[in-house]
Amino acid sequence: MPEMTYLEAIRQALWQEMKRDERVFLLGEDIGVYGGAFGLTHGMLDEFGPERVRETPISEATIVATAVGASLLGMRPVAEIMFMDFVLLALDQIANQAAKMRFMFGGRTSVPIVVRMPGGSGTGAASQHSQSLESILMHFPGLKVVNPSTPYDAKGLMLAAIRDPNPVCFVEHKVLYKTKGEVPEDDYTIPIGVAEVKRAGRDITVVANNIMVMKTLHIAERLAQDGIEVEVIDPRTLLPLDTETIINSVTKTGRLLVVHEACQTGGWAGEVIASVVGSPAFDYLDTPVRRLGGRDIPIPYNRGLEKFAIPQDADIEAEIRMMVSGKV
Amino acid sequence: MPVPFIMPKFDMDQEQATIISWEKRDGDFIKFEETVLTVETDKVAIEVPSPATGTLARIAYKDGDVVPVTTIIAYILKDGETLADLPKADSTPPLSKPEVDPVSQTLAAAQATPVAARMAKEEGVDLTKVASSGDKITRKDVELYLANQTPASRVAVAATPAARRVAREKGIDLESVAGSGPRGRVQSADVSKTAKHIPASVSHEREAEVIPLTGIRRTIAERMQQSFQQSPHIALTVDVDMTEAEDVRKRFNAQAEKLAQPRVTVTALIIKVVAWALVHNPYLNASFNGDSISLWKDVNIGVAAAAPQGLVVPVLKGADKLGVGEINLRLVELAERARENKLKLEDVQGGTFTISNLGMFGIRQFRAIINPPESAILAVGSAVRKPVVIDEQDHVEVRPILSLTLSADHRVIDGIVAARFLSDLVTGLESPSMLLY
Repeated sequence: MPEMTYLEAIRQALWQEMKRDERVFLLGEDIGVYGGAFGLTHGMLDEFGPERVRETPISEATIVATAVGASLLGMRPVAEIMFMDFVLLALDQIANQAAKMRFMFGGRTSVPIVVRMPGGSGTGAASQHSQSLESILMHFPGLKVVNPSTPYDAKGLMLAAIRDPNPVCFVEHKVLYKTKGEVPEDDYTIPIGVAEVKRAGRDITVVANNIMVMKTLHIAERLAQDGIEVEVIDPRTLLPLDTETIINSVTKTGRLLVVHEACQTGGWAGEVIASVVGSPAFDYLDTPVRRLGGRDIPIPYNRGLEKFAIPQDADIEAEIRMMVSGKV
Repeated sequence: MPVPFIMPKFDMDQEQATIISWEKRDGDFIKFEETVLTVETDKVAIEVPSPATGTLARIAYKDGDVVPVTTIIAYILKDGETLADLPKADSTPPLSKPEVDPVSQTLAAAQATPVAARMAKEEGVDLTKVASSGDKITRKDVELYLANQTPASRVAVAATPAARRVAREKGIDLESVAGSGPRGRVQSADVSKTAKHIPASVSHEREAEVIPLTGIRRTIAERMQQSFQQSPHIALTVDVDMTEAEDVRKRFNAQAEKLAQPRVTVTALIIKVVAWALVHNPYLNASFNGDSISLWKDVNIGVAAAAPQGLVVPVLKGADKLGVGEINLRLVELAERARENKLKLEDVQGGTFTISNLGMFGIRQFRAIINPPESAILAVGSAVRKPVVIDEQDHVEVRPILSLTLSADHRVIDGIVAARFLSDLVTGLESPSMLLY
């Protein structure tokens, strides 16, 4: 199986789907000649032409509104928001238009759009280009929020997202773009709304998304040498959330930690924890449930402070050790 | 104002009563003194009369509920009143901080750092009870004190949900488990560890009909345990030749027949003799009060009897002043009421000595447990005809021999005092005419 980066896996999904389905087209800022701010759409203008790789003005509201309109007329648009931070400008189109139309028209239409957006800190892009806003998007019924952590998941989920008849926010992570993994050349999809146990363990369940999955797996490897077996769950889709997988895991381990880069207050960890505590898994909890989110501050520009703002390996390790040893 | 209907207190030391059945329902019109419900105290079933005339409303407890005395169990709406006139449903009173004596508190506060004093105030901690680790009571000292307390306002046992589940499944009392978690929190491993030390027989998997401990059963259990644990029992046994007593009983029966009264039982005769002996041995007719002893002036003899719901002990008041015929009549009446569960509270109160007779089951002799607050109990076995030596010349005759065993509270009754009492009993039963002396 060929190895490729997270970024290449997403590009391959877009490429293959545009070959397969002529209704699929891309739109966004600088995605054509420049190949996108991160180079994700590099080469696609040459391959598919300006009709299907459309440069837009610097207006996120317009980008999403155009996608919604096109989808209503039968197209399968994939819009790019250059930095996730800018999705706030398009939020009315996403939340009030895309998410609601199917309901308001009694199911007689649907909005099959994908809105791609790279989020996350770690590139020194400062507080207006580094946020993790996925928790906000989870608050709008009608949306789906997909959030892959590996190249394999990224390709499979992108193909599923484009084929999904409803609006999907596809949250990518800038730091993950360069991570590598095995990705099949073939066409395959990963079902939206299904979590994956990335590593099985008996002592503690850690639920994490995108870059935090990688950090936690790395820590789990180290802790295993000390006899601590961490079960790592990647929800992969945040909305709808696969609570069943998480609940089953906590029933087994009796401990739950949720790790995300998004600011802790109002972050989706609270949603996971509430689902578990309110479920039959409650009776199996043997430690207070905990969350480790980003600090409640804007992401600093300074590299040292930027790291300080989000959970690091040492933080996750300390938290897990404390919980497993019953010191919390 | 609607009249609150409270659970009455029938007995000095009564704390609660079980509702057996409501005779009236919400909305029923009831008259003053009319029976509204039947309750069971620790001793008897009692019909509770209405405190007022009006409409019964907001019955708060159902049949079978155990209700503390003086609790409002319903209201009675008087003419013209509606449900809207009822007071708002009680809310749980806010948990109050423990009361702290202000003077000693002020003195102690002078020995505490300001932070410690403020903490103590906020947490309602009595600073005089806090041990200081240095010159002054510090915040750490207060924290340590708090950590070692389990105030009523907190959950009694800190335990994780998993620990609670495991405890539930294994039938383990969480309070018996030492917690290894922070602040002593019990975690599931702690419960599992405890479970290993408990014999398998405690397992809930064994099949059994489980009878809840209520009413009379609970009272019996509590009082027997209390008695046997708190009062040191001594037991003394004597044999009594019942020949003369049987003769007397025959003559009494002839008299009873003439008067169309029931046949006189051995028990009635024994009660009479016991009452006589108690008058001469006041320490057997006494109660131990911890720092004093009450020698009762009345001789009220309880007789253990079987009732449908368990043991009851109807009391013959002033037995020393009654003739055997009168004792017998009252005994018959009390026994009948006990069988029909119709004993009144006054029928079972005020006993000073108890007699338990299992002779009719062929029990030769046995030791009974003292019925608190009394200090002695007489266990009566069966009279058996057997050969005994009757004089100095070693003549042997067959005589009816009754075995009596006295259990006495050794705190109140010395062995010799108990022996004298038994000796008087023997005299009274073997020569009943001595009672006339």
